[in-house]
Amino acid sequence: MTRIIVMTSGKGGVGKSTCTANLGMALAQRNQRVAVVDADFGLRNLDLLLGLENRIVYTALDVLAGDCSVEKALVKDKRQPTLGLLAAAQNRNKEAITPEQMKELVAGLAPSHDFILIDCPAGIEMGFQNAIAPAKEAIVVTTPEISAVRDADRVIGLLEANDVKFTKLLINRIKPKMVQEDQMMSVRDVLDILAVPLLGVVPDDERVIVASNRGEPLVLDKQLSLAGVAFNNIARRLVGEEVPLIDLNATHDDLFSRLRRFFRG
Amino acid sequence: MVPDDSAPAAIAAAAVPNPAATEALAADPPPITPVPAQARAPAPPIDPRTQLRLRGETDHLVLLMPNGSEAEAGALAWGELLQQFKQRLNGGERCWQPHTVVHLAARDRLLDARQLQSLEELLSAAQLTLKRVITSRRQTAIAAVTAGYSVDQLAAEDTLVQSPPPPGQPLAEPLYLQTTVRSGTEIRHPGTIIVLGDANPGSSLVSEGDILVWGRLRGTAHAGSGGDRSRCIMALQMHPTQLRLADLVARAPDGPTSQYLPEVAYVGDNAIRIAQAQAFARQNFDATLGQGAQLTDAFKV
Ligand SMILES: Nc1ncnc2c1ncn2[C@@H]1O[C@H](COP(=O)(O)OP(=O)(O)OP(=O)(O)O)[C@@H](O)[C@H]1O
Ligand SMILES: [Mg+2]
Repeated sequence: MTRIIVMTSGKGGVGKSTCTANLGMALAQRNQRVAVVDADFGLRNLDLLLGLENRIVYTALDVLAGDCSVEKALVKDKRQPTLGLLAAAQNRNKEAITPEQMKELVAGLAPSHDFILIDCPAGIEMGFQNAIAPAKEAIVVTTPEISAVRDADRVIGLLEANDVKFTKLLINRIKPKMVQEDQMMSVRDVLDILAVPLLGVVPDDERVIVASNRGEPLVLDKQLSLAGVAFNNIARRLVGEEVPLIDLNATHDDLFSRLRRFFRG
Repeated sequence: MVPDDSAPAAIAAAAVPNPAATEALAADPPPITPVPAQARAPAPPIDPRTQLRLRGETDHLVLLMPNGSEAEAGALAWGELLQQFKQRLNGGERCWQPHTVVHLAARDRLLDARQLQSLEELLSAAQLTLKRVITSRRQTAIAAVTAGYSVDQLAAEDTLVQSPPPPGQPLAEPLYLQTTVRSGTEIRHPGTIIVLGDANPGSSLVSEGDILVWGRLRGTAHAGSGGDRSRCIMALQMHPTQLRLADLVARAPDGPTSQYLPEVAYVGDNAIRIAQAQAFARQNFDATLGQGAQLTDAFKV
């Protein structure tokens, strides 16, 4: 059965699109047939993160207008042919589409895919309602900041009220050093409030920004960064493997030497 | 900075003397930080009857619509009303058998076919069956008949009488919820609220009776919202953003707490105070003994 997962957060800029791009790519690397759907109409950028901007011919709106099939609108990734992107229209706003239409689009993609990841816009208004409408599962992305966690909590409540069961948590941009110095919420602190199962933790990493700018998700790197390993682990958990959390709380030196050891075998 | 588990965020701690000091128990603990009058919103009276709720009758449930004043406040208000009701239903407000019949007391609210249908869908998802609609509006009655419900049409005056809750009216039956009350969720109830779970920061509980949180209270809680200062707020862990009892407001003191003991917030000497549950119980017990002179005498040697 196709796993239809919405990536959402409430607060903007916490890394929904980054996570969607990396998880989509990592799942495709594991031979899953993946469609990533940009539900951020008017502020699309999933195509940029995946480096697919200049290959978009049709958007979701063309599909709804009956101008092309949903398969045809899907932009296939050259690096990972089992990954496809359904782009949002850039020139329209979030009211350009209804929850029913969103369901229709996803229903068209479901038979030919194992995973559908929906990149939700920030906020809890129409764009959010659209993005969650077809979803059966949710990954709530948050950073370890009070305001992001508060919004995540609100969103989890709204997901529950809208019958999206199976909500999991992804904590992004953890800085182990700051946590150790008690200057940042720890994973424990966040879980303590949100009380949903933890899917994974991604450290704050400058290479995420570099990768975004190049349109090459981190998980494509030959020498995986720590964040890349974290995304890979999350993808593995999504396909049912049991992977322990990387120990981000070890000191930096430890961490890197351990990773170096890991890669030298 | 958020403290980790070993040094949990604090609140009432400052208010409560060391439990070892048994003598302190007899006296009221000092009041916790009251919110200064000027920083305080003119505290608009909150009518807890503004949400949809279920009331049990002998062989069916009555779904009470809030009063009509803001009834026509538009589609958004309706959506919110449904959302809040759904959160209650999901929160295990399950004090009924499957397939229990529901009568909708719509009062003077104007309901169209679509709204009736969305209510029916919510109810049936919770295994409840909408059978009868009681209304004082002709249009609502027509919509309900068309949709196939039995309809009682009341004269308009009947419902007007109910508008402001008459004084001395008994409280509604307690609302029992098994859920995490999350940020942005507001639970209002004209009776006692019992939450089996946490009330998170950003959540709000408003009750005309008491509030009991069997978990961590980290949001805002207002007990005795109708003005009854004898009400109290109880929590396994009392870390509220703000506490209100009747007309009094207090906010949590800053600084770390050292305890995880159940606590009770109550009004003593015109201020909100917090005591450990044990101490609070003992105080009440002592007070009872004080009244029953015979009993006290009997214990005297
Ligand atoms: N783990 C990370 N380490 C460092 N930077 C990160 C990390 N994750 C995301 N970022 C950066 O944070 C910014 C916001 O990320 P992104 O666009 O993915 O967030 P978003 O939640 O999709 O935002 P929006 O709500 O606007 O859609 C980007 O500049 C991105 O590169
Ligand atoms: Mg985004």
